[in-house]
Amino acid sequence: MAKTYDYLFKLLLIGDSGVGKTCVLFRFSEDAFNTTFISTIGIDFKIRTIDLDGKKIKLQIWDTAGQERFRTITTAYYRGAMGIMLVYDITNEKSFENIKNWIRNIEENASADVEKMLLGNKCELEEKRQVSRERGEQLAIEYGIKFIETSAKASIRVEEAFFTLARDIKTKMEKKLKEASNPPKGGHQLRASEPQKKPTSWLSRCTLL
Amino acid sequence: METEPDEYHDCFMQDGVLLKQAPSSHMTALNTIGTLYIYEVTRSGESCNKKLLLEWKQNDITVDSDVQYQEWAVVNTVQKRIRTLSENMPEHHNRSKSLKINFDEIKSFKVCNKNRQLTFYDGTSERICGFLFQHGNCEHLVGMLKTILKVGVSRRDKQIYVVYDSNSPEFQELNRSFAALNLKNEDNSFWHMFKHFKENPYEGSLGAFAKVTNFVYRSVEGSDPDILSRDELYSSITELDDGVPHSGGEYEVINALPQLPRRKEFPRCNPLTEEQWRSQFNSLGQLEDVDSIKNLIFRGGVSPTIRKEVWKFLLDYFPWDSTDLDRQQLINKKNEEYYVMKLQWKSISQKQEDNFSDYAQRKCQVIKDVNRTDRTLEFYAGDNNINIQTLGDILMTYVMYNFDLGYVQGMSDLLSPILWLMQDENDSFWCFVGFMEKVMSNFDIDQAGMKEQLTQLRVLLSFIDPVLANYLEKHDCGNMFFCFRWLLVWFKRELNQDDILRFWEVLWTGYPCHNFHLLVSVAILEHESEALMENDNGFTEILKYINELSGKLNMELMLNKAEGIYNQIKEADHLTDSVRSILGLPLIGTKNRGSEEQSSQQESPFESPDLSTPRTEPCCSVDNVRISPDEIAFEKSISSSFL
Repeated sequence: MAKTYDYLFKLLLIGDSGVGKTCVLFRFSEDAFNTTFISTIGIDFKIRTIDLDGKKIKLQIWDTAGQERFRTITTAYYRGAMGIMLVYDITNEKSFENIKNWIRNIEENASADVEKMLLGNKCELEEKRQVSRERGEQLAIEYGIKFIETSAKASIRVEEAFFTLARDIKTKMEKKLKEASNPPKGGHQLRASEPQKKPTSWLSRCTLL
Repeated sequence: METEPDEYHDCFMQDGVLLKQAPSSHMTALNTIGTLYIYEVTRSGESCNKKLLLEWKQNDITVDSDVQYQEWAVVNTVQKRIRTLSENMPEHHNRSKSLKINFDEIKSFKVCNKNRQLTFYDGTSERICGFLFQHGNCEHLVGMLKTILKVGVSRRDKQIYVVYDSNSPEFQELNRSFAALNLKNEDNSFWHMFKHFKENPYEGSLGAFAKVTNFVYRSVEGSDPDILSRDELYSSITELDDGVPHSGGEYEVINALPQLPRRKEFPRCNPLTEEQWRSQFNSLGQLEDVDSIKNLIFRGGVSPTIRKEVWKFLLDYFPWDSTDLDRQQLINKKNEEYYVMKLQWKSISQKQEDNFSDYAQRKCQVIKDVNRTDRTLEFYAGDNNINIQTLGDILMTYVMYNFDLGYVQGMSDLLSPILWLMQDENDSFWCFVGFMEKVMSNFDIDQAGMKEQLTQLRVLLSFIDPVLANYLEKHDCGNMFFCFRWLLVWFKRELNQDDILRFWEVLWTGYPCHNFHLLVSVAILEHESEALMENDNGFTEILKYINELSGKLNMELMLNKAEGIYNQIKEADHLTDSVRSILGLPLIGTKNRGSEEQSSQQESPFESPDLSTPRTEPCCSVDNVRISPDEIAFEKSISSSFL
């Protein structure tokens, strides 16, 4: 049977409870917004296949419960992720402050070379804004990751966010693959060109189809 | 001159056996019909000098033999008549028409062609001879051979049985392996292995055989081969056969495992009616027969007209033995208590809140969650809904009631149907408190309660559906995490409002056992097992499938099946204490629970670093379980029959 995609990327949405992770995902996967949403219990995922530079990329996006209490369970799913969306709510200062805790969580549980991206959601609620765009940008620079403000409700830049993250993963992956097939001094395999200090790299497990 | 044997004891005979392969000396007998015998030869005057022989003898009239002997073509394994030399011996002298096989020569034999063909090998890839069983099959003969020879199924071909010669390296290896396993010591991993075996027959057998294989095929260094005497080894191997006809390689091992009793149907009944309910109260307003009331509720739920009242009992707001007067006083007292607690948080100023982050955090989470709880129900729909406000107030008051637990996601789901039914803040609060008492551990800070339940679910599933349990284990689903939502909020997200009211009231009775919701989960998994195991599904597919069952479950059918499962478990001969303790059945000391707990911990499904946190104690600790000498004997017998 022919494959319906070239790459499978596993992404993860994390962030405080109520910042809109499920809504961002719903907007991206169904292009819809539901005002009567419910809190996420446990873990769930959605699939969307996108076209990126002539490649079909299947995005499997995992959505987690945000409350601290469930972190012991949800962190088990960090490990396989190739990309992580860190989501905060621009109308909620606390959710922004907590991003650094989420980053620490990633460092402890995800593979070292996971692609990260910072998402300031609910940007349509300008009148309730507590976190300026500049602070979001500043934090992203601090961590060396990309930043984007989105609105799941008003459908602002959600597509762009996921496409950007997917492209970054693809670029990183293809670069590694190229290195692997054309090693600088020849004869080395992917595993050898991979720094040994990163044994948990997702690249070594990444699904190539 | 050779001493003539004195007596022949027939141990076995089977007719209609075609000689398919034979040494050149017997070429002329090939493709002729004969009878196979196993008999014991006792040399004259020496009762201790007995020898077993296998012999095939050509029938006199080969052409008609099929017709002639059709009727007794079956088998005769028990008859032990004594043949005298004078009666039958002439046939033995006709060398080309009779083929004798010394059991010492047989190094292996192969059963094929649907058990109709049996070939003996001498260990040098040379055939000794082969037979085709035209009537019936060779199952009985193979059964006999296994009691005579020490055999094991070949690793390469399960149709081949290898004979362990007591002088062969394999046998020595096996002998040493058993010794290394230290059978005598009931407190070592070997026994744990068999306890696990009893517990999870399917998984257990796979794991156990893998271990034995390792022992058999790997040299055991530094072990003393004489710890176990050869006789004991022989007897333990012999007991393997246990008279079970071996027909399909290792399959009979599975068949020999304890079977569950037949599942019975437990149709659901009508809900408890108002009339039934009222008739149970005496003149003081006390319930007369609480057990029968609970039983009726378990069987059919509660009629909506009396639900509001009955739930107060089910949720331990009203004591079951209370009188009308008691309840009136209780309501007043609880009402006051509630409003005192509510006032405590209502009077916290914004400034206080800013300086009280633990409180602020809880409040923030409550507000977030009530605004996304059952908003599709009319009762909670629309902006500025007063019931959402009440929902939040009750949860906030609960935070003051149990500040350490605080508010955890999922609690609003548990409260929502209660408030919807009660439509009274005070009653709802105390009913919610009662519900929380039942599910408190679901919201443990370290999630220990949820982890324990998922582990218990796996134990129960292994008992009921070992095939599915094993599949899940092999496909990274052994943690049962895909059932997390079911268990956290008791199927609130899976069922519609009407069903959840019925489902919860049935579960609140605590009938017929503890953790009945786990049996409901087992029932669903078993019901869906085919779909779950389709297409080599892994965690992703299984999680998706389970999540998408939401709204599609047949609640009454689930309860029916779960009760059937409960009765199967209760009546199972091999029921162990680890299962008993999960269901709250009296322990009888059939199992050292410690080993079970240990093994579950080793295979901890949750691999995040936080999981080093200690697990909650199981309902039954090791201390509660005593192992009697009888039990040790029982376990030993199990172990020997499985080896």
